[in-house]
Amino acid sequence: MSTPDADLTRAFRDEATDRLDQMDAALLAIESGKAGAQAVTELFRHAHTIKGAAGMLGLDDIRVLAHAVEDVLAVMRDAGTFPADFADPLLRATGALRAQVSDGHIPADDLLRELAAIREKPLDAGPPGTGGHPVEDLRDTAIARPQAGQHGGEPQVPSQVSRAGTEQRSLRIPAGKIDHLLDIVGEAVQERRRLAHSLGAAPELPRDVIEALGAEERTLEELKDAAVQMRTMPLDVIAGPLPRAVRDIARAVGKDVEFAVTGADTELDRVILESLSEPLVHLLRNAVVHGMEPPAEREQAGKSPRGRIELRAVPRGSLVEIVVADDGRGVSPDVVEDARREGSLTEVLTRPGYSTAKEVTSLAGRGVGLDAVKTYAQSMGGTFEIRSEPGKGMEVRLLLPLALALLEVLLFERGGAVYGVPLASVEETVTVAETVTLEGRHAMNVRGRALPVVDIAAVLGVTAAPPRERPPALVISAGGRKIVVVCDSLVGKEEVVVKPLGSLLARVEGYLGAAILGDGRIALLTEPAALIRSKRPAGGPPAPAAGPAAASRILVAEDSFTVRELQRSILEAAGYSVLTARDGRDALRVLGTDADIALVVTDLEMPELDGLGLTRAIRADAAHASLPVVIVTSRGSDDDQRRGIEAGADAYMVKSSFDQQAMLATVERLIGR
Amino acid sequence: MPVENVLEVAAIGKVTVLPGSPAEVLGVRSLRGQILPVIDLGVLLGSPGVKPARLLVAEAGDRKAGFAVDEVCDVGRLPDPTEETDSGLLRGALLDGGDLVGVIDVPAVFDVLERAQG
Repeated sequence: MSTPDADLTRAFRDEATDRLDQMDAALLAIESGKAGAQAVTELFRHAHTIKGAAGMLGLDDIRVLAHAVEDVLAVMRDAGTFPADFADPLLRATGALRAQVSDGHIPADDLLRELAAIREKPLDAGPPGTGGHPVEDLRDTAIARPQAGQHGGEPQVPSQVSRAGTEQRSLRIPAGKIDHLLDIVGEAVQERRRLAHSLGAAPELPRDVIEALGAEERTLEELKDAAVQMRTMPLDVIAGPLPRAVRDIARAVGKDVEFAVTGADTELDRVILESLSEPLVHLLRNAVVHGMEPPAEREQAGKSPRGRIELRAVPRGSLVEIVVADDGRGVSPDVVEDARREGSLTEVLTRPGYSTAKEVTSLAGRGVGLDAVKTYAQSMGGTFEIRSEPGKGMEVRLLLPLALALLEVLLFERGGAVYGVPLASVEETVTVAETVTLEGRHAMNVRGRALPVVDIAAVLGVTAAPPRERPPALVISAGGRKIVVVCDSLVGKEEVVVKPLGSLLARVEGYLGAAILGDGRIALLTEPAALIRSKRPAGGPPAPAAGPAAASRILVAEDSFTVRELQRSILEAAGYSVLTARDGRDALRVLGTDADIALVVTDLEMPELDGLGLTRAIRADAAHASLPVVIVTSRGSDDDQRRGIEAGADAYMVKSSFDQQAMLATVERLIGR
Repeated sequence: MPVENVLEVAAIGKVTVLPGSPAEVLGVRSLRGQILPVIDLGVLLGSPGVKPARLLVAEAGDRKAGFAVDEVCDVGRLPDPTEETDSGLLRGALLDGGDLVGVIDVPAVFDVLERAQG
């Protein structure tokens, strides 16, 4: 086989993956009896196009398998019937195609034989004569079937060029360029505000200057909206592979689950979308594996044997609400009891180690790694909440900003400094008139609830004159908890450009970043959760600045000496103690001798036992079932990621985009301080 | 400090205190639309300045910070350091006309800052 041009191969990979996503969706629809009349025709078209393009690039494995799929589909299309149980072998075929598309040569002889057998099976409408066509050339195949002509002759032209030219009218632009554009636009908006601020002090301006400034402002707003729009993409982009992932996970654990996605067209910031996939899969896996009861148990409880899991996305102003809901068993009554005692269900379930402990005793534990999802939502400037009733299911709700670069914040002053909190977390503003003292802490009555009152200066540890009488305050809500934060004055609502504090200050916790205001001052944007956390009584988690637990032990499994030592040095520099293993089997041996290992970092491809095998072995062992596993690999396709996640990995990082900070952040999050 | 690491010398400007940050972090300031950490080089080197007045904006790779200093003495060409020091933050030191000049290892300083805890 010749080595095809790299750009072409990449283009093919993108297109084929896209088409395989659509095929999966159609096959799942057929399997659940919800497919439209066009489903088979569309499936055929996709298989045909993949076959054609693969043929052009000399990717024979893919061409042959796609051809076999196409033949099966042709039989069904011609017969006008599609038995639902044929969806499964075809789904396996699309799975194999995916693997071939991302990894190259993988033989699929068994699948080919199976598909050939299906093709020969008589269907209701009688087997058409086309079934056995050993046609190699795609043009022959298409022309030989009159039906192909119904689709405007399209299957005969398996080139990406015509598709790009007619259907989409879209342009591929490197994401970095758009990020840069957004940065500049954000800057321009801020400069405009600064200008307005300076002009506000000027005595008098000519009328035409005022008009020109007004026009400029409107244009700038439009420009900003358009730029933000460019960086948003529909949830669909990442939700596409989810139905299949849910189905596969459900099958693997013997659950019967119906999965529905609503609001897939809801637009989100690309940066959020890219990072949302991992937490979403995590939540869905939790819902299937831990939340959903087996069919028999559901029936006993008077529920329908088939469970339902829903992913909903709903735009809410400048925010997007993402909900993963299931009708499974929900939390156990003693968890509800814990929650009542300690404040909120969210808080109880996201306490590191909580769910794992429950798991061992009652198997009813929920929310493996929910603390990771919560941390994620907060790091994006969003909020996280869990609701659940025993026996009735569970709902996890993420509220995320629509656009990351621009964040709506409420600004307030204290001790001469300006602070901001995301508007998403501000319930209301109040005046603190009367406080009561409960267990040595101040509290006030807000809408019938006694909420703790804290001084932002005390929380952050800065010295400031005591707040005045009847000070203004913000009611902040995060993770199902509310708190009243006292300040000197409220500045108001503003849409600000969030500037990162940079890697040098990454260890300083509690901030989302900073914003430069119109008057040139810097507003520190505080993480709502950090404000709430800080009022925890002694005995709760230590101060947020504690860093990684002293010498948490990490096992690195990696066959390359260089990579292994690189990872060791990064982790050790961050204060972890590191053990290494040369392959999966070696890693299992080390795990067997050291019970204190808190996390495993593994490569995918290793001799003896590979990373997936290692992950599965760890998950299969009751003693390590909840041990966090991070896969670090050069294989970055969605499929690889899915396989990794399905095997039970908690995070998946790609070497090519390997980023020390990201790795440490992930490790720190999973170990849970 | 090696000139190749220095982007510019600026006035110290208005520094916003960042609560919860380590002692050597004086705070952050805005510089050309970006947030710049302001580091007290004196604290880091164990000899805090009285009241730093100038800001040396330094860069190494994609890491950038402003170092608050008492004064910028001179820009000049120096021979390679001749004296070894036991400070991990210095590349070395040398004698220049009777003065002992320490040569700051900017990447090493950044490494230390990144690891520092609040």
